[in-house]
Amino acid sequence: MELSSTGFWVFSALAVLSAFGVVFFRNIIYAVLSLISTLIMVSGLFFTMGAELIGALQILIYAVAIVVFYVLVISTVPEFKGKAFEPKYMIISLPVGFLIFIELAFVSLYGAWKSNTGIFTQDVIKEVGNVKAVATMLFTKYLFPFEVASLILLVAMIGAIILGRKEHVIDEEAKS
Amino acid sequence: MVPYEYYVALSGLLMVLGLIGVAIRRNIIALLISTELMLNAVNIAFVAFDMKLGDVGGQVFVFFILTIAAAEAAVGLGLIMAIYRLRRDVDTETLTELKH
Repeated sequence: MELSSTGFWVFSALAVLSAFGVVFFRNIIYAVLSLISTLIMVSGLFFTMGAELIGALQILIYAVAIVVFYVLVISTVPEFKGKAFEPKYMIISLPVGFLIFIELAFVSLYGAWKSNTGIFTQDVIKEVGNVKAVATMLFTKYLFPFEVASLILLVAMIGAIILGRKEHVIDEEAKS
Repeated sequence: MVPYEYYVALSGLLMVLGLIGVAIRRNIIALLISTELMLNAVNIAFVAFDMKLGDVGGQVFVFFILTIAAAEAAVGLGLIMAIYRLRRDVDTETLTELKH
């Protein structure tokens, strides 16, 4: 068996197993640890598909930076007491989810995808490298969305600071 | 080389797991984590279609999804901390002000 197909089966099995952990672990800390595992396995899947830049960004941004946000907030908010999930919702959501998965799998296994092929075929990407190909598209065709994304990050940062500050500091200033 | 259909089917499986997580979990932080799972499923589908079609536009969109996920995590967790400070509770069963 080829290395990339071995990688696909190993990474996808571990990703699905970790995703079950994210959904069904009662303790929220175990769920976040399963999320880190899933993100690293998805990054490995990107590497098997030949998308090195996205795989590296997945580890750097998702599995390190974003998960640190979650761990920080979980350390601030005390552990949730009581039931982690409501079993009565499982009665309806599991069959519906199973049906949606059957539909998605049918479409992806038997669907004939018709689309214009781009200029970055496997040979071109092998010649110039994946990072250069993605960066060329990012800074030419998608330059305006790139700038809008930076603006969204700035707005989200300001919003998070405003939402997360303590209100009683303002009250004390108003009293004095 | 594994055919790209397998990657798309795996993406569907992760998407459905995230959907079930959003439906059955009661903790708001767990809802956000399940949303991250769904975003990752979409990323896998984008990169798989790139591999099939010989383009890199999907990978550029994965980059944008990473950016938006970071913004969503920052704002969502800020909201959770604000709700917790106000109510001392992060259970969706008891946060029902908008229900009535």
